[in-house]
Amino acid sequence: MAAMPPAVTPPRSLTELFLGFLSMGARSFGGVLPWAHRVMVEERRWLTPADFAETVGLCQFLPGPNIGNATIVLGKRWFGVRGAVVAFLGLMALPFVWVLLLGALYADFAGNPTVRAVVTGVGAAGAGLFIGTAIKLGRALARKPAALSLIAGCFIAVALGRVTLLIVLPVALGLAVLAARKTWL
Amino acid sequence: MALTLLDLALTFALLSLVAFGGMPAVMPELQRVTVDVREWTSPSEFVQLFAVAQAAPGPNVLIASLIGWKAAGLAGAVVALVAFCAPAAVIAWWVAGLWERFRDSPWRLAVQRALAPLVVGLILSGGYVLGASAEGGWRIWLIACAAAVVGFATRLNPLWAIAGGALLGGLLLS
Repeated sequence: MAAMPPAVTPPRSLTELFLGFLSMGARSFGGVLPWAHRVMVEERRWLTPADFAETVGLCQFLPGPNIGNATIVLGKRWFGVRGAVVAFLGLMALPFVWVLLLGALYADFAGNPTVRAVVTGVGAAGAGLFIGTAIKLGRALARKPAALSLIAGCFIAVALGRVTLLIVLPVALGLAVLAARKTWL
Repeated sequence: MALTLLDLALTFALLSLVAFGGMPAVMPELQRVTVDVREWTSPSEFVQLFAVAQAAPGPNVLIASLIGWKAAGLAGAVVALVAFCAPAAVIAWWVAGLWERFRDSPWRLAVQRALAPLVVGLILSGGYVLGASAEGGWRIWLIACAAAVVGFATRLNPLWAIAGGALLGGLLLS
């Protein structure tokens, strides 16, 4: 047994759970997911890589903020309701404070044209990152005409037509499930 | 004030339930509701709040707090964030167990495959709506294209795209 590589051990206390998610949230510049992997799989060894991937897959499938859902699923697994609440609070506590401080700071300097220009540039880059993500995810679907039609349909309805998601989502999901059952997707 | 808080709670709770694909996929709807329907921010201000949320560490869902803060102060920030996370959290709580049981169900696989193109279409729409809301015309799309290339063609941390956007924005947009 002594020669075995160190196995994964779930957090032993709510404090450990809280501190783990706190350190994840506090450092997660540029997206939480890579930091979630670093903290839970590499540093604290709460999860195996396979378990991490499976949990992330589930949370991406569910509606709502992916990483928020992950705090619920993992917190529940380890400590029930208290775990879910503690993990969520741990993740959000510091980023919530950072973002409001940054927002307040920005509000003070929003009259300055250079500050406005820099912030708008960041927004434009964020828009571009969305488009980059869509291209990255869409490449796997590029050879399927049904998938391309659904992508185009969503874009026309949502981006150009500004139709509410409350209508677009049920219609598109119905069509897409039908297509998937016919193995077009 | 109390009415605005209730409005924020209902709006973000509803968004939570349709946010398949997370925050990026629900961005076009968030922009539509925040700017066109409720008029909590102007289009260009929406982009700037989005930018502040991008530049801060933490989950991208925190743009909900900034919009809530803008609409109703600190209480609004808390209400919007909790309302956006809670309904989804309840679903996550109940589905976590079922997910394992339906591992090989043809329906689970069909729904998973069905969601993929919708999420792509919605994230693409999110990028378009954000770019179109920003003031700066072609310069905005120049920065966005550069960031998109960094995003899909390189393995660089997205923070480099953000930093580049800040620099180009300062040079081109002021």
